[in-house]
Amino acid sequence: MEFKKFKLIKQMQSTIKKEFIFLLFAAVITSSCRKIFNLPKEKEYLSNNVNFANKILEPVLGRTNLIGGFNGDNSTQPIHFEIVNARYGDGRPVTDIFQKAQTYVWTAAYTGTEKSLAEIEAKRHLEEHPLFEIRSSGEFIMWPSATNDLVTPRPADSTNYPQDTRFFDVKITNTGGERLIRDFQIRPWRERPYDPADDMNLYTGGPAPFPETPYNVLSRNYIRPSRMDNVVGDSTDIDLGNDNYHRNNVLVYIRPFTGGNGHSLRFKVLNKDSVAIDPALFNETEWVRLVHGFNLVKTKEYVQYDVAYPIPLVNLSTIYAPGGSNAYIELKYSRTGFGQQRVTTVLGLNFGIYRAGDWEIVFHFRKDNPRFKDE
Amino acid sequence: MRRKLLFYTALFVCLISLNLKAQAQTVTISGTVMDKTTKTAFPGVTIVLEKPYKALAQSGVDGHFSVTVPVNSTLKFNFIGYVTQTEKIGTVAKNITVTMSEDQKSLADVVIVAYQKRTKETTTGSATIISGKEIQDIPVSNVEQLLQGKVAGLNIQNNTGAPGFRGSVQLRGLSTLSISGSGNDSFLQPTSPLYIIDGVPLDADKAAEFGFQTQGPGVSPLSLIPQEDIESIQVMKDAQATSLYGSRGAYGVIIISTKRGNSKIPRVRLTSNFFVNAPPKLRETLGGNSERQAKLQQIILNATSINDIRRIDATPFLADSLNAYWNNSTNWQDIFYATTYNTEHNLALDGGDPRFNYKANLGLRTENGVIKNTGFDRYNLSMNVELKPNDKFRFFGSIYGSLGKQQKGDGLGLLQSGVAANGQASTLLPPPSFYQSSGGIISALKTNDDNSTRNIRSNVEGRYEFIPGFAITSSLSYDYTSDGEATFTPAAANAQFAKVYDYVGRNYTLYNRNAITYAKSFGSNGDHTIFVNTFNEIYKRGAQQGIINQVRTPNDQYQGPLGFDSYNSRGGGVLSTYKNATSASFAAALSYDYKKKYVAELSYRLDGTSTSGLENPYSKNPAIGVRYNFQKETFFNNLSWLSTGSLRLTWGQNIVPSGTLQSIYGTYNLNGNYNNTPTIGIDYGFIPNPNLKPTTTTQWNFGFDLGLWQDKVYVVFDTYYKKVDNLLFDRPLTNSTGFGTISSNDVGIANYGYELMITGKLVTAKDFNLTMSANGAINRDVLLRIPQEYNGQVIKIDGSSYPQRIVYRVGRNTLSNYLHINEGVYSRDTDVPVDPVTGKKYQTGGIPFLGGDPRWKDVNGDYIMDDRDYEITGNSQPLVTGGISTNINYKKFGLNIYTTFTAKRTVLNNALSDRLSIMRDPYSLLAVVPLNNLDIWRAQGDVSKYPTPYDYARFNQIQPLRPDQTLWAEEGSYLKINNVTFSYTFEKNFVRRFGFNNVRVYFSTNNLVTFSGYSGPNPENVTSLGRDISNGYPVPRLYNLGFNIELNTGN
Repeated sequence: MEFKKFKLIKQMQSTIKKEFIFLLFAAVITSSCRKIFNLPKEKEYLSNNVNFANKILEPVLGRTNLIGGFNGDNSTQPIHFEIVNARYGDGRPVTDIFQKAQTYVWTAAYTGTEKSLAEIEAKRHLEEHPLFEIRSSGEFIMWPSATNDLVTPRPADSTNYPQDTRFFDVKITNTGGERLIRDFQIRPWRERPYDPADDMNLYTGGPAPFPETPYNVLSRNYIRPSRMDNVVGDSTDIDLGNDNYHRNNVLVYIRPFTGGNGHSLRFKVLNKDSVAIDPALFNETEWVRLVHGFNLVKTKEYVQYDVAYPIPLVNLSTIYAPGGSNAYIELKYSRTGFGQQRVTTVLGLNFGIYRAGDWEIVFHFRKDNPRFKDE
Repeated sequence: MRRKLLFYTALFVCLISLNLKAQAQTVTISGTVMDKTTKTAFPGVTIVLEKPYKALAQSGVDGHFSVTVPVNSTLKFNFIGYVTQTEKIGTVAKNITVTMSEDQKSLADVVIVAYQKRTKETTTGSATIISGKEIQDIPVSNVEQLLQGKVAGLNIQNNTGAPGFRGSVQLRGLSTLSISGSGNDSFLQPTSPLYIIDGVPLDADKAAEFGFQTQGPGVSPLSLIPQEDIESIQVMKDAQATSLYGSRGAYGVIIISTKRGNSKIPRVRLTSNFFVNAPPKLRETLGGNSERQAKLQQIILNATSINDIRRIDATPFLADSLNAYWNNSTNWQDIFYATTYNTEHNLALDGGDPRFNYKANLGLRTENGVIKNTGFDRYNLSMNVELKPNDKFRFFGSIYGSLGKQQKGDGLGLLQSGVAANGQASTLLPPPSFYQSSGGIISALKTNDDNSTRNIRSNVEGRYEFIPGFAITSSLSYDYTSDGEATFTPAAANAQFAKVYDYVGRNYTLYNRNAITYAKSFGSNGDHTIFVNTFNEIYKRGAQQGIINQVRTPNDQYQGPLGFDSYNSRGGGVLSTYKNATSASFAAALSYDYKKKYVAELSYRLDGTSTSGLENPYSKNPAIGVRYNFQKETFFNNLSWLSTGSLRLTWGQNIVPSGTLQSIYGTYNLNGNYNNTPTIGIDYGFIPNPNLKPTTTTQWNFGFDLGLWQDKVYVVFDTYYKKVDNLLFDRPLTNSTGFGTISSNDVGIANYGYELMITGKLVTAKDFNLTMSANGAINRDVLLRIPQEYNGQVIKIDGSSYPQRIVYRVGRNTLSNYLHINEGVYSRDTDVPVDPVTGKKYQTGGIPFLGGDPRWKDVNGDYIMDDRDYEITGNSQPLVTGGISTNINYKKFGLNIYTTFTAKRTVLNNALSDRLSIMRDPYSLLAVVPLNNLDIWRAQGDVSKYPTPYDYARFNQIQPLRPDQTLWAEEGSYLKINNVTFSYTFEKNFVRRFGFNNVRVYFSTNNLVTFSGYSGPNPENVTSLGRDISNGYPVPRLYNLGFNIELNTGN
């Protein structure tokens, strides 16, 4: 009996041992090393050195502002950016720049070869966006829908007091962690509906004084043509474009006009009596490829197109905007010069218009009319 | 007591009388003993009568024997290393044939641990043994190549075909993240296991100090060992097995035992191999006029302006097709690559018995590489002698002398950039001739590169056993290598001026080991056994290399001596690899077993190295292991199918000195003269770190061995966790410290994985044997830590023309690529996304993408592809490695097939990138490669894999074929039928007529065929960082015809 009991215990022991072995086995095989040895889990990387090249943002209202400068230092994308704690320097919360408004976004690539306004419009559509936001690349966007009416621009007296300045912080997160970059400032410039805005005071929006007499409130600065080749004054016989003393010989006005369809652009040339010169006199002008416009209307006084605003639509090198950032037009005519030489006169202008409407671009020969007749 | 005595006496007398009675009837048995594998006569087999136990005779030279034994007795046939055969004898005299087969198990049963032979069942470590037989028959230049796929966890990539060089070897994963060089030349610091050849440690990485930029011959020390001389190779994997090998044992230990004399009759054996190295399939190239037509078509279809068309007229080789100079079809690759015919011979002479034996081995090998002007010749002579006059004293002495001669052409051995560049030349150029040849071609073919490595290694070992079980062993070895390289570049190859490069290096290791061992069994029945092994080791290592480099030497006839000339000497002197290092170690191991069932081992080793930091001169290396041979438990006795079963668990630590003298003590530089006195100043590039610790490897191992059905099926499984800590890392310092960087120990890597080996003796019949074995290992590595200030990620920026960045991120596999993610090709111009804010197309470098350009992932979403759009991807280290072997014997025929595989690895196909990029400039004198077989974008609407390479006008802006993109990241998995050996052993009686004892003939191949989805030629022929570089040395295919001849030296 005793013996039997012993055997039983031994059997039990052996089964326990067996089970123990298999348990050990199972435990080792099924459990992964990652758990046993507490290996670090892969985290997304968020560098300690993430920063922005520029923390004072100075967008121009009324046009697309894309402000980059984020340096992620190879932090793992996707990184989530969030604008937090927007406030004025005195602690008041900032809300105006986060209002939502309809704005155009592109859905297809503008090429400059579109054949109609509808084709252009098919490539963009209106979407509602906060006026100011930050996208996944860390770039700040001030949409063109942010106008002077919605966002108060920087003070007209050119001061930068904290209580007038909008501050905010940017929270950067990915699964690897979180960083807060503090104290960005946003100081919007007021709208400049067109470029060049030489005739406009950038702080007040009012007329700009002539740069050489800045304190003379009566003096005015003007937009001048970007290029004037062989523009000869009809009565003075001087080169109007190469006359430093009379630099206001030919002026350009970019101004709205009334009576258009809301998306028209008109070109006009005025003589020294402010009377329109017949555009037909600019006989070398390639009117059909002057601007990316349609429904060309040519009268004795002006040439008018239906266009899509802004001009240029996209910062892209096209025949209408060779440099990409500005449209470029040339009004040209030719005549016989001295020695029976063909002389081509060119009036060129780099420009941009950012606010949709009916705009006219006027070249004004203020001092003398251009010479059209042959020598 | 007396009664008992009486009883026994009576019994004894009875037995004797019975015995006498039985002896009265005897029977004479005669016959032959045969070896099962070689099918030859087996001399020297001891024939033993079982009852009463008595040695009767030995088989003769012809295997014949004749014994007279009592009827109904049992005979046993014994030979060391062979399975004992038993023959029941009836009452009739007869002639029997006994076939002896090798005892695989018993061979595997003896392992060498810490220089001591031990039975495997009482050791706790993880070790694999490969018999020398498995690595014969294939005449490779480096025997390491043949270990590929034979040991689970030993990852060998034969990634270069350069004769005399070696591939990469890693045991249980990655042990370093140190990378030198950049781009294609990025070179992962090799972490080869420590090789111990007959008790003498050998540094296999010696020739790899300069990465790809090898200085000197670069002959791997392992290339100097003829494989015919190898008896067995043992691979030690876990820390318990390797801890007692100290410093270099952290990467594993491979023990090579060479053959010993073992034949009463002196044996003379000759092995001759005649082999062919065939280059792999080379790049297809359009020849002659088709090249011209292809280029013209490319220009015409992709011209952006009239000037492109006009430029054709200004490009003579395109326009002037009637000019004889431009009217050729030269196959340039054919000029550089060739099939070569080579031989290898090995003569072995041995004899003796366990009391006294000797061996001499003479080897000769000449091999020409598949790239012309490269090759490797080897001459070696090795001898050993073992003297054991009695059981107390043993003496072993050996000497190895070898000479390796190598030609590297004008390349660097591993890299053949000149050949790669010239192989791309336009086929329209005339072939090289006496009058017509470019410098590059002469350089590749006529550079006189004469390299040699002379190595002499001697070793004496004495052992004396004072009292049974207590012995002292002392071993002393000296290893000296002298390297020389003389390169002479003729004037025509170097812009009309000859140049000379000379390299002289020497290397020595003096090594001494003294051990005291004690073995004792005690307790009733000797159930308890202890074994104590204590020893000390002293290493003295030194090395010095120097070069001279002179250009504009007088002429092609005068190669020296040359004096120093400040204008034409291009530097030289002693290289930075100067070494003078000492290390001393003390180690002790205690092992205990109870009935060989429960085994425990403890070991401890103290290492002091002169290269560890001053604050940490010693490292302590403990290891512990337990083993449970559970099949010895009584309750398993009734399981007849279980023949072996054991569980092993070990833990241990190893160190590797990682610092250099410079990193501990700093360097002083000569800083020019001040007041006509030479000044010496501190090198501010880095600050010395006296706290530098050696790299520490900690390893856990759990394994089990399972033998089923008398070990017909044998399974070995291991799982391990290996932590490599305190790796060196250069950390930049703030400039206010005045120094550039500091070396610190803040990097750690962990490897964990599983290893499985299954061997099945599927058929064991008299005439037919079939054995299959498969092994595989899964290894994952994880980066554990990097210096704190990096916050978990470091990117190795690469400024070369192959800007493939490497990223180290904690928690991920250690070596990941940091690349642009390729998501295909833009099918049409309109498929390119547009920035909704600006309306601009997705672009790079200010140039918008068009149809046919690669679709790269805009990682940060700014619609601009630039340096911010890299993503971490891939793993350059393989996850799975292994091999399958099949051995078939049928009568006198043998067939062995060895297959290896590697899976789950990212290979960057830079060669394909280079090949497609040849199309970037149709006006240049480069070859045109046919791209018909590639899925390339050709017209709007095509959905393809590869972007258009033809748009040469935008090529430099878009760089559609840039190397740093995942388009080239391919799965590098492959299955390679590596070796196939078919052999036939001639009928013994037949060959005896010609004076031979044994003749075997075999046909074998190496690198026969690779199955892979990889688009390049060979997924294995890539660097250790997984880059398929076009200037690498292709791995040839080898076909061999060999003979084993044994002379009849008996009667």
